[in-house]
Amino acid sequence: MSKYLDRFTKGVRPSKKLTLGSKGLSRSFALTLSLGFFTTTISYAETPQKALETLQKVQPNDDAAMARASQAAKELAKESDLNTLQVLQAMQGASSIGKNWLLGIANSTQRKKPVSKQELEGFLRDTKQDPEARYTVFRWLTDGDDSSRNQWLETMLDDPSPEIRYEAIAKALEPKELSVEQLKTLLDVARQPEQIVDLIARLDKQGIKVNQSQHFGFLSTWKLLGPFDNTGSKSFNVAYPIETDWLNGKLAETYQGRSGDVKWISESSEDPDGLIDLAKIYNNEKGCVVFGVTEVEVPSNVRCEIRIGCINAQKLWVNGELIIANEVYHTGMQVDQYIAPIELKAGTNRILIKVCQNEQKEVWAQRYIFQARICDSTGKAIPYTIKH
Amino acid sequence: MATPSKNRHRFKKRAWLATAIALVTSFSHPIASGEDWTQFRGPDLGGAASKAKLPDTFDGESGKNIAWKVAIPGRSVGGAIVIGDQVITTTSDGMEQRRIRLLSYNKETGKQNWEQQFVSRGRPYCHPTSANAAPTPASDGSHIVAFYSSNDVACVDTSGNLLWYRSLASDFPKAGNDVGMSASPVIVDGVVVVQVECQGDSFALGMKVEDGTTVWKQDRPRKANWASPTPVKLPSGTLAVILQSSDDLVAIEPSNGKQLWSMQTGCATTPSATVSGGKLIVPSGGLTAYDLSSTGVPSELWKENKLNPNACSPLVANDRVYTINRTILVCGDAFTGKVLWQLRIPDANQIWSSPVIAGDKLLLFAMDGSCTVVSLAGEQGEIIQKNMLGDEVLGSPAISENAMYVRGAKNLWRISER
Repeated sequence: MSKYLDRFTKGVRPSKKLTLGSKGLSRSFALTLSLGFFTTTISYAETPQKALETLQKVQPNDDAAMARASQAAKELAKESDLNTLQVLQAMQGASSIGKNWLLGIANSTQRKKPVSKQELEGFLRDTKQDPEARYTVFRWLTDGDDSSRNQWLETMLDDPSPEIRYEAIAKALEPKELSVEQLKTLLDVARQPEQIVDLIARLDKQGIKVNQSQHFGFLSTWKLLGPFDNTGSKSFNVAYPIETDWLNGKLAETYQGRSGDVKWISESSEDPDGLIDLAKIYNNEKGCVVFGVTEVEVPSNVRCEIRIGCINAQKLWVNGELIIANEVYHTGMQVDQYIAPIELKAGTNRILIKVCQNEQKEVWAQRYIFQARICDSTGKAIPYTIKH
Repeated sequence: MATPSKNRHRFKKRAWLATAIALVTSFSHPIASGEDWTQFRGPDLGGAASKAKLPDTFDGESGKNIAWKVAIPGRSVGGAIVIGDQVITTTSDGMEQRRIRLLSYNKETGKQNWEQQFVSRGRPYCHPTSANAAPTPASDGSHIVAFYSSNDVACVDTSGNLLWYRSLASDFPKAGNDVGMSASPVIVDGVVVVQVECQGDSFALGMKVEDGTTVWKQDRPRKANWASPTPVKLPSGTLAVILQSSDDLVAIEPSNGKQLWSMQTGCATTPSATVSGGKLIVPSGGLTAYDLSSTGVPSELWKENKLNPNACSPLVANDRVYTINRTILVCGDAFTGKVLWQLRIPDANQIWSSPVIAGDKLLLFAMDGSCTVVSLAGEQGEIIQKNMLGDEVLGSPAISENAMYVRGAKNLWRISER
């Protein structure tokens, strides 16, 4: 029996769905979904299964794996017994590249030998399946069918698939007038930055203040040191003394900067996006490096992510380990532009950022700015305190 | 008036050119049919050879000479291509345009044939004007390659079956540009060539069209670049790809990555080079023409600053070169670079879409969806019509038989007399 059926027959059921309290799924619609889910049958042929496993494992920079995967894809294209759900299930546990190979196979398989609507609905309801596979099925089921789309989305506000959740929240945000309670419910589940900012603004219009910076988990308090020299953009890989001092856990009060001794400046950002505007703080200094340090305390070890946005070249270390490095100047800045998984340890965790400004003269190349936040893998801020 | 000596000089040039044309042509695909539009700007890099008879007037709102229109979710700023009876285009939609799609439609009816979709593994971010689906797909008639700003590459057959997929952002994690990447791929000699030039991992890559494995990789200047590789067939019969950047101009043999020649010269980073009549015409110092029939590094034929193409790629037809400098259409002599006439395109806002030529008419889309039709029949260009599509247009149109396919940001359009 397939893992898919096996999981279901062992009683794994979709979790209780969060709604905004209006209609939810109609009873008949929900019944249709459930019946379809029960009647799903899948057979695994050995050869297709091996081909799927080949696709699951593709990793970057592996030409041999690419060649094998390409051969497997060709074989699967000829496979008449291949079932779309079998391919979609294989996305669970596949590498990120492997998932796209499987998605490509699933698209073709579904076109040639479509599984029933009921089977797809069953797959979509199974929140244990791969999130990207489920969103694919969601689109197959609902593209061009607004009624079905709206029914599904009403129950999917806290769906584990970020893409489905995004769609559900976007749908819920369509009405111009939403109650404070509805907005708060949405804010609690929203993870996509633009939606969060929209929700906070709409709450603000109704007199409810939300600290946006805190909601995102932006690191708003830093000690800054600089400017150091970056003439000719040559200092990105130059280890200034502070970098080695930081690694060794000792910091001096003053360092030799570009034009004499420089001292630490305490900066606490009031910006809702946690922006630390180095251009403003350092009088539009060009061709320079500024360092920022902050210390984050957490009660216990926690796996999380550090996410930064920065329009300048930057390096970031957590507890002495280089986590992020991008020698890129003035090519856009986004919340969560660069994301890296980290593990914070119980107690104090030390974060160092090096931000380099170049000497471009164009009007659009004058920003010298960064933001950083700590959150879980879904984008929700984790509790921490800044050690002052 | 031209003097006799100038005329003789010109005659010699034309005689030389006639020979060169026979030897040097823009690259045409071995499998694709003559009516196919296989890549960004088509097999002739702008449709100069197209004899298509397109309607002078069309209107998106009333449907006049709009054979069909298909709404496509998401956004695209790349052009469509035409392979056999299929029109192929891309889109990016969903959360942060992370879903990247490749779609095929019947070119007669607009009915969808098939769709493929993937999830961006690189950063999908771009300027709001652009889209993750920015590059135009490419085909050799049997393979179709889609490339996205997020540096995901997918290759399918003409039935939409996945042949291979590759995440260049996973292979080269520093590749990317959050303003958006847009260089379109080309397929030459069984190799897919992509140009990924940015401040991080900056390279050109040749991948076997059959399975996506690496044939070669060339490091490129670590600077942002949006220009596309230009395919060309050299007099020796060698197929080559021209890469331009703000630092250099190089010719690569796609089958093995061998650098045939290179020169240190600053080229524009948005419009791409074109090839015509034995000349490589490069957006550099305005516009510069090089003699491709010579061996080794090509010699410069002329350079004309007034032919600066700004954002749109230049194109050549009937011994004339055309560029768009902001809202001015400039025509030059393809032999000398001398500016022959200029024509202001009235009420045109930003123009990103590279123009195409069908017969003796040049068609130019502005970003607001207005299409100016310019007659090239006389000594001076003459605007004969301005049409409104009612869709944002940044991609270059495709022409096949007597129809033009326009990928608007939200719709795919077929413009033809029904």
